[in-house]
Amino acid sequence: MDEKLRAALAAVQKPGRYTGGEPGCVYKEKDRVDLRFAFCFPDTYEVGMSFLGMKILYEILNKRENIWCERAFMPWVDMKRQMEALDIPLYALESKDALSRFDVVGFTLQYELSYTNILAMLDLAHIPLYAKDRGEDDPFIVAGGPCVCNAEPLADFFDLMMLGEGEVQLPDVCDTIIQGRREGLSKKEILKRLYKIEGVYIPAFYEVDYLPDGRVAAITAKEGAPAVVRKAIIADMNSQPLPENFVVPMIGAVHDRAQIEVLRGCVRGCRFCQAGFLYRPMRERNADMLSRAGQNLCANTGYDEISLTSLSTSDHSQLETLLDDMLEWTPKEHVSMSLPSLRIDNFSESLVRKTTAVRKSGLTFAPEAGTQRLRDVINKNVTEQEIERTCSLAFDAGYTSVKLYFMLGLPTETLEDVEGIADTAQRVVELYYQNPNKPKGRGVQVSISVACFVPKPMTPFQFVGQDTQDRLREKQQHLLRSVKSRKISVSYHDSRTSFLEAVFAKGDRRLSRVLEEAYRRGCFFDSWEEQFRYDTWLEVFRDLGVDPAFYANRAIGLDELTPWSHLDYGVTKDYLVREYQKALNARTTPPCNRQCSGCGANALLGGPCFAYN
Amino acid sequence: MRTIRVWFTKTGEASYISLLDLQRVMQRALKRSGLPVWYTLGFNPHIYMTFAAPLSLGQESLCETVDFKTEEDGYDWDAAAPVLSACLPKGIDVVRIAPAALDANDIAGAAYAVRYAPRDAAAARAAWEAYNAAPSAEVVKEGKHGKTKTIELKTHLPTARLLVEDGGLTALLRLPAGNTLNVNPVLVLGWLEDASGLPVTAGRILRTDIYTKTGEKFS
Ligand code: SF4
Repeated sequence: MDEKLRAALAAVQKPGRYTGGEPGCVYKEKDRVDLRFAFCFPDTYEVGMSFLGMKILYEILNKRENIWCERAFMPWVDMKRQMEALDIPLYALESKDALSRFDVVGFTLQYELSYTNILAMLDLAHIPLYAKDRGEDDPFIVAGGPCVCNAEPLADFFDLMMLGEGEVQLPDVCDTIIQGRREGLSKKEILKRLYKIEGVYIPAFYEVDYLPDGRVAAITAKEGAPAVVRKAIIADMNSQPLPENFVVPMIGAVHDRAQIEVLRGCVRGCRFCQAGFLYRPMRERNADMLSRAGQNLCANTGYDEISLTSLSTSDHSQLETLLDDMLEWTPKEHVSMSLPSLRIDNFSESLVRKTTAVRKSGLTFAPEAGTQRLRDVINKNVTEQEIERTCSLAFDAGYTSVKLYFMLGLPTETLEDVEGIADTAQRVVELYYQNPNKPKGRGVQVSISVACFVPKPMTPFQFVGQDTQDRLREKQQHLLRSVKSRKISVSYHDSRTSFLEAVFAKGDRRLSRVLEEAYRRGCFFDSWEEQFRYDTWLEVFRDLGVDPAFYANRAIGLDELTPWSHLDYGVTKDYLVREYQKALNARTTPPCNRQCSGCGANALLGGPCFAYN
Repeated sequence: MRTIRVWFTKTGEASYISLLDLQRVMQRALKRSGLPVWYTLGFNPHIYMTFAAPLSLGQESLCETVDFKTEEDGYDWDAAAPVLSACLPKGIDVVRIAPAALDANDIAGAAYAVRYAPRDAAAARAAWEAYNAAPSAEVVKEGKHGKTKTIELKTHLPTARLLVEDGGLTALLRLPAGNTLNVNPVLVLGWLEDASGLPVTAGRILRTDIYTKTGEKFS
């Protein structure tokens, strides 16, 4: 570790974020590999180290002898200041080499409010922000993750984006770059080979024209690139081994535990949920494979907690078997299990028993909307009775606190739906006091957490405009007035961050200057309340003559060309339109494992998604 | 039940692991190593561990210790050292594992080497010689609850020995450490910064030994 770095570390709050050296991290001889990859997470170390995707790809790339994958995170404000003052370029934690010396620098795009951090990280690494300004010696700057389904606001900064699942695609991209370099090809020539890989999108090879009113007129592919880029997918999840080694953070990460991904995708089809549409169709892993991988992972990392992760773990068809298999080894190896995404409607008594056998924590549920009508609109197929049944079960089992998640600003929402949120919480409180088996002498605590709805691309709600901030604040106030019990606490999100999120979620390429200018004026870590500078953002929009409401609050016509219409995640636009119209009539759609509704994603597998009998 | 003591280094990257984090790191490493470690009973079983005289963040050491308990007799602890080492992060190497001979409460002092790079060597020599020659060296130590205390460093460290190593300079000091009285070497470096302008960060602090009240090495 060099002296400048030691001086910087001596001056910051949490130096452990910037040192690397954790158990499980991989070191290689840099001269003996063909490609060096820097996996960048554009948020703090603690947030990034919780992210399973990075662990999966870190293991896959490092299994390859000729590739060395390292990690980099966004330094917190104090460290950023030190690095600028001492002229320390942003480095990867393993080798401490500057990112500019890498062959590929890859960012994962998990949420829109991390976009300015990407610019800050490139800048800290002394890498030119715009793809057009970078030379042959600069690394390829690439992106993956859910937000690439419409990362058009970042299109000008990236050489390449990867749609879909990276397990096979990312090594293919690396191999193509290695091969191209070996043949002495230019970056552009290499890019022209890369777009042949499933899901690879080269933004510079697409030209976007706009109508006078600001909507997209046409998106034209150039340089022989495909007119439509279709996401990459792992057809059989059992073909992909789970990571059995994690880099184990030494300073506590947000999710600091072993994780096994039990399934990918979701059968539910909640109409607001982008992940649910991006990862279609749902695919499971065998219980047997999962339990074994989990056991090895705990043995290799020393973790004493394992989480069964996915969008909807309790939809796994062999969940009970899986839990039983895991209970064979978890108690004697001092490991506790947690299920982060339990669903109300199939929360069974035996599930309660098996997961609390080792660990008892508060329960969280997400009804998302306060009335049955609105839940039908969003296709969150949870009934009042199910909520009540689940809470009774939980209270029987000794739980005394329940956290309920809702959204405000959903399409067709009225003030009556808002009151429904308070009513739902109130009924949970009453259920507790009516329960004869409730823990003696203890009260109940029901907390409601309310997010603002953000319409997202690739979902049936991509067409709707977001409620204005005034309207959202009005609804928040109405909710606060509707809550009558002291046992209920309410927390809600800042509508300003949700507004910005909507702008960048549905934005187009004209927003890259906005991002750059906002970053130049000091915006980064926008998802951190203490760093969020809303006024600066508004000034930037005004100074550059860009109307953010055009992106966030305007409804998109059903026949309009969206900025993301050249990107294909398997679900057809027809289906999105159909689902949207059903939503307006409060008509629900059954989950995929019960009945196929023909979204089109089965084409990605080349056959039906489920064996219905 | 016996108490087993692990001696380990904490250098480079590992010097930035705080005590709280070190507890978690050690817990996991012991678990991974498969050594016969005793777990507390009850709802949330964990390994019972105690660290003696923990270091400040950023300081390095060749002689850290952690104790755990075992119910095993006649275990080959010598063979266990490399096994545990392999489960620990970069910069933490297990030097020795053996049944504890002394009580951690017996610790009374520690030896440190403060190292300066060649380009700081001349300034460091001047600063340290000024310390050695000074009749008194008082510093104010911030205590808990905002209380402050004035300490005369000279009663604990009359002089430091200076060594030239690879063109750089090393100052050797011995200071009180342990439960009753602990003088952090940073206090001395702070005095040097105030008196001679030698920045605290110029010196790299390495703990080399731990002693008991009677002056023997802690074991
Ligand atoms: S094709 Fe049918 S079963 Fe498959 S994801 Fe789409 S709706 Fe679900």
